[in-house]
Amino acid sequence: MLDIGLNHYMVLSALVFALGLLCMVTKRNAIGILIGVELVLNAANINLVAFSRYQTGAGDGHIVAVFIILLAAAEAAIGIAIFMNFYNTLATIDVDRGDELRH
Amino acid sequence: MNSPVEAISFYVFAAVTLGSAVGIVLSKNIVRAATCLLGTLGGVACLYFVLHANLLAAIQLIVYAGGTLILIVFGVMLTSKSPWAQFSPTRGQVAAAVVVAAMLAFSMCSLMLSADWSRPSGSLLESPKVAEVGKMLLTDYLVPFEVASVILLVVMIGAAYLARPEK
Amino acid sequence: MEYTTALALGVLIPLISFTLLAFTGHKLGKPRSSYVALLAIGISCALSTYVLLGWLGKTPDEREALAAQAVANQFHWADFGNLAIKVGVKLDSLTVIMYFMVTFIAFWIHFFSIGYMEGHSDEVDGVSKYHRFFTYLSLFCFSMLGLVISSSLLFLFIFWELVGLCSYLLIGFYFDRKYASDAGMKAFITNRVGDFGFIIGLAMVVLFLGTFDLDEAARAFAHQFNTGTGIFEASVNLFGWHVSGGTLATLMGIGLFCGAIGKSAQFPLHVWLPDAMAGPTPVSALIHAATMVAAGVYLVARVFRLLTPEAQFFIACIGCITLTITALIAIVQTDIKKVLAYSTLSQLGYMIFGMGVGAWVAALFHLMTHAFFKAMLFLGSGQVIEGCHHEQDIRKMGGLRKKMPVTCWTFFIGVLAIAGFGIPGMHLGLGGYFSKDEILAVAYERAFNLPALKETDAAADDAGEHAHAIGRRRITSDRSKPASNIALASGVEAAHAPADAHHGDHRTGTLEKVGIAARLPALPPIMFWLPIIIAYVTPFYMMRCWWLTFCGKPRDHHVHDHAHESWKMFLPLAVLAIGTFYCSFATFRPLIHDAAAAATNSPAIVAIDGEAHNLEEAGAGAMLMLNHAPGKNPHDWLAYGVGFAWLIGMGFAAALYRNGLAAAERLRRRFALIHTALDQKLYFDHLYDGVLVAGTRTLGVVCYWFDKIFIDGTVNGVAMLTRWIGSFSGRQLDMPVQRGDWGLVDAVANGMAATVLDIGSQIRRPQSGRIRTYVCITAGAAAVALLAVLYFDQLAAGIDWLVTRTSTLAQG
Repeated sequence: MLDIGLNHYMVLSALVFALGLLCMVTKRNAIGILIGVELVLNAANINLVAFSRYQTGAGDGHIVAVFIILLAAAEAAIGIAIFMNFYNTLATIDVDRGDELRH
Repeated sequence: MNSPVEAISFYVFAAVTLGSAVGIVLSKNIVRAATCLLGTLGGVACLYFVLHANLLAAIQLIVYAGGTLILIVFGVMLTSKSPWAQFSPTRGQVAAAVVVAAMLAFSMCSLMLSADWSRPSGSLLESPKVAEVGKMLLTDYLVPFEVASVILLVVMIGAAYLARPEK
Repeated sequence: MEYTTALALGVLIPLISFTLLAFTGHKLGKPRSSYVALLAIGISCALSTYVLLGWLGKTPDEREALAAQAVANQFHWADFGNLAIKVGVKLDSLTVIMYFMVTFIAFWIHFFSIGYMEGHSDEVDGVSKYHRFFTYLSLFCFSMLGLVISSSLLFLFIFWELVGLCSYLLIGFYFDRKYASDAGMKAFITNRVGDFGFIIGLAMVVLFLGTFDLDEAARAFAHQFNTGTGIFEASVNLFGWHVSGGTLATLMGIGLFCGAIGKSAQFPLHVWLPDAMAGPTPVSALIHAATMVAAGVYLVARVFRLLTPEAQFFIACIGCITLTITALIAIVQTDIKKVLAYSTLSQLGYMIFGMGVGAWVAALFHLMTHAFFKAMLFLGSGQVIEGCHHEQDIRKMGGLRKKMPVTCWTFFIGVLAIAGFGIPGMHLGLGGYFSKDEILAVAYERAFNLPALKETDAAADDAGEHAHAIGRRRITSDRSKPASNIALASGVEAAHAPADAHHGDHRTGTLEKVGIAARLPALPPIMFWLPIIIAYVTPFYMMRCWWLTFCGKPRDHHVHDHAHESWKMFLPLAVLAIGTFYCSFATFRPLIHDAAAAATNSPAIVAIDGEAHNLEEAGAGAMLMLNHAPGKNPHDWLAYGVGFAWLIGMGFAAALYRNGLAAAERLRRRFALIHTALDQKLYFDHLYDGVLVAGTRTLGVVCYWFDKIFIDGTVNGVAMLTRWIGSFSGRQLDMPVQRGDWGLVDAVANGMAATVLDIGSQIRRPQSGRIRTYVCITAGAAAVALLAVLYFDQLAAGIDWLVTRTSTLAQG
């Protein structure tokens, strides 16, 4: 129990990933989906860093994680801009209303 | 191997991370979800500290907790008439989502735990120092680094253009 | 239990209470959520009592061993380059006593709050705020205690910001009232200004001393000072202004002190504290009188070893200005809480001034005694306000003595304590008497004895020769000072120390101290006289407040008829009154004095012990009492000069307000100009509003136009350019070959589109158009695929079995 290893982190990251997915699927608020995406990305980052610590010992995992954080920030910025447009067009933030491309 | 302090910190911060993540999923209104996200991001940052990824932890706190989260909160404020507006999914959707998520979690856990890692799990490696990571960023990873900066520029212009009010 | 563990536990328990209340507080409801907070701080208080009692039973050597152990037990948190960040508990007598003070007062204020909040409307939009109050209080206790035990400046800073946050939340507790939310914002923003300086100071500490740890930083600073390296060697070009050596070190000290200016509401950032009285009264008592605002003084005490004489002088100046102007403003205030707020400011000014003149022990002693009696005074005012149906104007009160006897007399004890009640020559008095007098005595030393010493004849006798040599070595290492001080050092040493070979080491230590003292800039006499005059003003305005509230005839019968008091609220008052008596005599000063030797051991400046009469008493060479020429001991005549200030000030107030407001009204008309100026708080708010707020607004407008024209212009320009390129290339590439024909691009695109449309209409059915469905399907597919791969063997076996079974069945 007290000996923390790679497995602990991997289970944690899997759980966070699943919760992020759950968040993406169950939230009808567009921002909620964005939050879910952030959770998923964080789960990936936990894995990368844990691997770097327990498997490779090199900084590559850290660097990839840095890029992921960077892209997550970019994604959030663009995402929010899109949602604001969405909101301006449809006067709601409920993503289920955004199915016009289907028709 | 590792000290009890590390083990205890892991469990505490993992609990914070998971607890907040569950809070995000369960909370009905989006402001509360964003607040819980702060808990998850902070918990993950603390886990980075436990993993001796100090630079990453600092970046996580500054960029994620400080930047992205604020962005999200602004998004919440700008895109709803009332921040407490709720739209609930149907019960069937929730059930399907839970089944899928559980399947995914289970399959990922079993995949990871069944894999045979080349190094024995639990033994520690020296973590790269901040300076080393910085050096790698500007030598081996210079091209991605520059590309990232271009992406950020594009994102900045794009976001400003998209979010502009209609003429 | 180990002391560090006990202290750390005592910090964490309010955090647990905070977490519990934050998530379940609204379910716990009105009385119960307060019990959780009370229980938490009660446990912390018990732990701190345990530590205090244990600590008192230890010898100095044992204490040192425990402190060393606490340092050894620090947890290594993170590395950034050469900067190692450690988490640990700073264990010394100051921590122990400060911790006890905070938990004890906080406990009784929690107790008081239960009674206070009972009668308060606490609903906004139908949501109860009752539990929120106690949630914030718990968070505050956690942060304040964390601040006290932090061994590193970084954590001190983190907790520093947390207490600032709690202060903001609690000032703006009645956020549905405009003035309260405004006051909260004002406090927060004003504190940001100070914290900005603090951050610069912290950055300089890290840059030059390379550590956040208080002890390590002090050691590095001492080393750099002695060898003239590091910060004393560096030079910086600041906007063409060449800053080097000692000035840089001074700037670092001033930067750190900026934090204290904000949090302890010193001039020029003192404007937030009076407005902070918009918060509930227990909050004013706990945060804005007893503990948080004193954190600034605590910070200065902790970074004392990083100060230079110039920085110290700056601190003394700020303290002196604050204590003077705020005491004058307090004279004309009519709101009972505002009077107390300004008196708090003035007393904080005394503490900061004490730190500035080197009265380390006296300033902290004043902090302790002030915390007790000011908390009591605020709780008393809370009781009065509550009893009088939220009337805060003392002009409308009067004659409440009969209605609220306990409040009246405990308040009076507080007035006596802050006025410095005591009988000179008999060592009898309340807290303020000893602590304030000691600060004044040290100020006297710095203002008058030091210049006198500097004029001492350079001729040293034989006994001084040895001292002379050491003195030269010490003093010449500081290159910025002229050599004339050497004579002074040797002269003092000759006058002081008996030529005793056995005291060689000790004498070297004290000699160094004397040498340092000789280099300190002398205080201008005005900085001695102003605090003395204010020592007469303090009793006056406090007595005025008490007299108008409790004595004379009732001036407003509506208020008077309602007045009542309840036991839940006067029990804490009584306890704190006893605390005020207790801390005046026992325990506190010796413990602070015990911490002083290590906490002030600096090569650059000295802490001056106002009580010790010779060097031996001052102990270990860390503290210094300057040489008293015969018959010049300030205690002799200071004691009589200031000792009766309380009597004169209070007597004058009682005489003036004996017959109500009439006499004061006449006085007011005669000095209308001065009165208006004081009533308008010397126009500081007007100044800041006019210059800073209006300036910021103008800047905002400028920025808006810049954004509109330049930034938007760029974005729109890029968009136009892209559109132009698009239409241009479209014309070139997509020209119809013949009328009615498609262009090349159009042909390809439309052809593909037709195909996609065809395929799309086929697979349209499962497409709901909802993004969530897509995510779910994708993830589900991924999970199924993953499971299939993982359990391929089992799956294959299962299929095999199924196939065999079916074929068997078919055959059979």
